[in-house]
Amino acid sequence: MQRSNFYTFGFAFAVTLFCSVALALAATGLRPAQQISARLDVIKNILSVAGYPNDITEKMAAADPKSVIALFEKDFVARIVDKNNQEVELSRVSEQLQTIGYKPAEIEKLQAFEILEIFNSKVGLLADRAGKTKAEFDPGYSLLFLHKPGGQATVEAYIVPVEGFGLWDMIYGYIALQPDLNTVKDIRFYKHAETPGLGGEISTPWFTDLFKGKKILDADGTYRSIGVVKGKVSDTHPNEPEHYVDGISGGTITGRGVTDFLFEDLQRYNKYFETIRTQEPIESPR
Amino acid sequence: MSTATATPPTTAEQKKTLFGKKERAIVRDPLWDNNPITLQVLGICSALAVTTQIKTTMVMAIAVTVVLTLSNVIVSSMRNLIPGKIRIIVMLAVVASLVIVVDQILKAYLFEMSKQLSVFVGLIITNCILLGRAEGFAMANRPWPSLLDGLGNGIGYSIILLIVATVREIFGSGTWFGMTVIPPFFYEFGYQNVGLMILPPGAFLILGLLIWAQRTISKQYETH
Repeated sequence: MQRSNFYTFGFAFAVTLFCSVALALAATGLRPAQQISARLDVIKNILSVAGYPNDITEKMAAADPKSVIALFEKDFVARIVDKNNQEVELSRVSEQLQTIGYKPAEIEKLQAFEILEIFNSKVGLLADRAGKTKAEFDPGYSLLFLHKPGGQATVEAYIVPVEGFGLWDMIYGYIALQPDLNTVKDIRFYKHAETPGLGGEISTPWFTDLFKGKKILDADGTYRSIGVVKGKVSDTHPNEPEHYVDGISGGTITGRGVTDFLFEDLQRYNKYFETIRTQEPIESPR
Repeated sequence: MSTATATPPTTAEQKKTLFGKKERAIVRDPLWDNNPITLQVLGICSALAVTTQIKTTMVMAIAVTVVLTLSNVIVSSMRNLIPGKIRIIVMLAVVASLVIVVDQILKAYLFEMSKQLSVFVGLIITNCILLGRAEGFAMANRPWPSLLDGLGNGIGYSIILLIVATVREIFGSGTWFGMTVIPPFFYEFGYQNVGLMILPPGAFLILGLLIWAQRTISKQYETH
């Protein structure tokens, strides 16, 4: 049947209005649950790299997501370091965010990694307010996690985020170092888009286990990082197997990406580690 | 668009039966005789993309079935109000809204899954099954048969996806639902997981074989 143009426009308007209201309701209504899910995802990966068994964490998360967050808060301390390798209090970061309108009550509910993420996305605005260029202003905050079970004084592991480009897209991960700040405890790649079965093998235990016990410094204390070789370490670097891991066949470019971003990111954190090494006596690895 | 364009039931007798012969046929047809994937060849994109693991496939299948059923009901109940000139775009608005809501729910309660399914949930919008059923069936039928049609097609789609995923996961990763099914001594004798099964060509091969098998059994041939 033929209808007037007026009716057609009216109908289109009504449908659009209804859909947008429905979507707005769904988005606002689900936001708290989404925030918890995203937070849990980060926390689960940190717990995993620190050596907490995945199946236990999963069970806890299924029973009560808050218990996992509570466990994380009990056993881990987030530390923020600026570009001069000075430790920065979290309250300092949230004060800066409050100057651009974030409410203290709002920020209080967030985890350190979430606050830092907001801060990094607002650096441009903060620099404008301070009348500086972004490069001048950017304090270059980096985040790391200290594994101190039950709030004990000694650190069990230092966990730093690593990220960079693989073959297809960004790879995100965490690497845990022993208290000697040299030996790798474990590594996780939790988000990537590498080819399943080839480069995608980086997230499987057989590959991540290769990193355990590798060293980021050589015997003289010079920074070396850890490289993923093409083929077997026993063929390519038989004299210094502590700085290399076997490659994935069919995943050479992924391995090259991992090598590059591990070098970059660990180098940045190693500068901070230097300051710790000079302050505190280095414990020998267990 | 397809063969399943039943005429709207108008007589009082048909209105009364909720699961009459006709209603049963609406649900049963897309499971085999008029399967959306193997016969209508719709929704191939997601059938290839999400079927490397049965878990993700399961979530995807449920998501498509829910969206398809709801969109069919909504479109069908508005069918006499929708102006013919803009009907496709109205259907698209309905489908898109439903898909976004499903995506938001996955992000809230199945975060891990939504990360793995990534863009493919959003791409349900462009899944031809949805617009195909809305235009081909829901626009011409009352809400109840449309609901059954959505459900039937959704399940028909799910069955094929789950078969493809089962084959791909078992041969590609040696697991099913994440449980190891290929015994370890196979590997000791030199058996290896078939990498091809994990890559898109593996899905093409299985899907092609399925379509061939299904059409041979049900004797449906395309004539030239």
